[in-house]
Amino acid sequence: MNDALRRTMPAELDRAYRYIRLEWNPEFAMLTARMGVSPIQCYSLGVLAELKQIYADISAARGLVRYFVTASDIPGVFNFGGDLSLFVLLVRARDLDSLRLYARRCIELVWWGEVAADIGVYTIALVQGDALGGGLEWALMNRTVIIERGAQAGFPEVLFNLFPGMGGWNVTIRRAGLAVANDMILSGQIYTAEQLQRRGLVEHVAEDGQGEVLLNQFVRTMDPRFRGSMAALQARRIAAPIAYESLQAIVDHWAVTAMGLSNRDMRLMERLARAQIRKIGGANDGVVEEIKRMELDSAWDFERTGISEWDTLS
Amino acid sequence: MQTAALPFFIDLVTRTDEARRGFEANSKVLDIVANGLSVERYRNFLLELYHVVWHFNPVCAAAASRITDAHKAVRCYLYQHMQEEKGHEEWVVNDLEVVGVPAARTLAYQPSMRILVFNGYNYWAADRKHPMSALGMVYALEVIASVYGGPLTAAITESLLLEGDRGISFISSHAELDAQHMAELRVVLNEVTDNEAKSAIIESSCVNFDQFARILEAI
Repeated sequence: MNDALRRTMPAELDRAYRYIRLEWNPEFAMLTARMGVSPIQCYSLGVLAELKQIYADISAARGLVRYFVTASDIPGVFNFGGDLSLFVLLVRARDLDSLRLYARRCIELVWWGEVAADIGVYTIALVQGDALGGGLEWALMNRTVIIERGAQAGFPEVLFNLFPGMGGWNVTIRRAGLAVANDMILSGQIYTAEQLQRRGLVEHVAEDGQGEVLLNQFVRTMDPRFRGSMAALQARRIAAPIAYESLQAIVDHWAVTAMGLSNRDMRLMERLARAQIRKIGGANDGVVEEIKRMELDSAWDFERTGISEWDTLS
Repeated sequence: MQTAALPFFIDLVTRTDEARRGFEANSKVLDIVANGLSVERYRNFLLELYHVVWHFNPVCAAAASRITDAHKAVRCYLYQHMQEEKGHEEWVVNDLEVVGVPAARTLAYQPSMRILVFNGYNYWAADRKHPMSALGMVYALEVIASVYGGPLTAAITESLLLEGDRGISFISSHAELDAQHMAELRVVLNEVTDNEAKSAIIESSCVNFDQFARILEAI
């Protein structure tokens, strides 16, 4: 985005954020939010507060934004979902109410995406890096997902005895059906962009580095049909509804389940976080490779001995 | 996240989130989590840590002596907590011996200015700012131990090829111990209703996260 475009940011949206960089494309009234949270790209309390403000500004200036794009400022990573260290803190403190509160804040933002068509906003996820757990849930909640070929995604939560609680079941079932949702969520497997497209989970696969080009092509094609598409999306919500009560009930169940995580489960979460930190420091492998290693370790050990390596961690 | 009318524990978690993440995102802390420490740096860390542990109970005692009956539950919590932490500096001495530092050298070690600043702030806050500030120190140290202690332990054990708990007993045991402590701390923090006390605890937590990162930066 060049300076000329950045200068045209409408006053209604023009705020300084710490974790989100906004870009404005006046040709299509397209607002792009690029998230950058360090050391691990996740939905921290700070970024949730900023997203909430952005959504409030978009809702208040109804009609100003036609396309809202979620993207990442971190190379190779779209989003890794929940703030694992905050989870660990709240689980260690046995603080169910606060964990539920955090989860419900996430659901409020997910719900804004679900009903964005009602205020004339078309949502798009531009996935240019790996999307795990809540990061994938967030992407799938968008109307259109554009993913670059090298990106990988999945719901690894089952590996540490949890499940995706912030809309993962709802959106995966709506996009690809119950069988695919079962397979993805209960296996914890990581999928390539092509595999996701074959399962009907994402609409477009771009070559690496070409995601933004494809995004602009998509919006250019979509724009003349904007009003009809929005009306169709509202009708889709009637045909295949996701109820707020369903999201809330699942997230409450998620919080109760998280309270039951053992030390072993939390050590596995820490192992993933450490792998990603090592990658930031220059190591070849990050969290996705570590998840695959965990899957492989588990499969081999279980086949040989009937005992998972993870059992020895407990 | 809105903070009005929340129990104080989550209010504290929310309002110190930037400071906690600042600790987590500190480049030197990240490097330790990713690559561990050389034996020389680990010795330096433990020598400095000894003075954090050694002064922990006196800071709590200074605070407890000034806490009024309005916060009797906090005073009792500090008594109990001091009892649980009593003698833990000996664990640091033992770990240092395993990695080649005799007890006499540990006891003679002069802490760095960062430790003096860390401890100095906590004494000053308990004595002059507000005695409830001590809970901010306790919160920050418990979070560092129970949330980050596990990855730090794994990294140091791997880098130094230590076996079991040998040489790492203080950090590894506090990663587990402080999980229970965190649950107890939440209960007592949720009983704090006084706004002045809350502000002091929040400020102290932020200072302790920041200063502990400085200690790790310098080793």
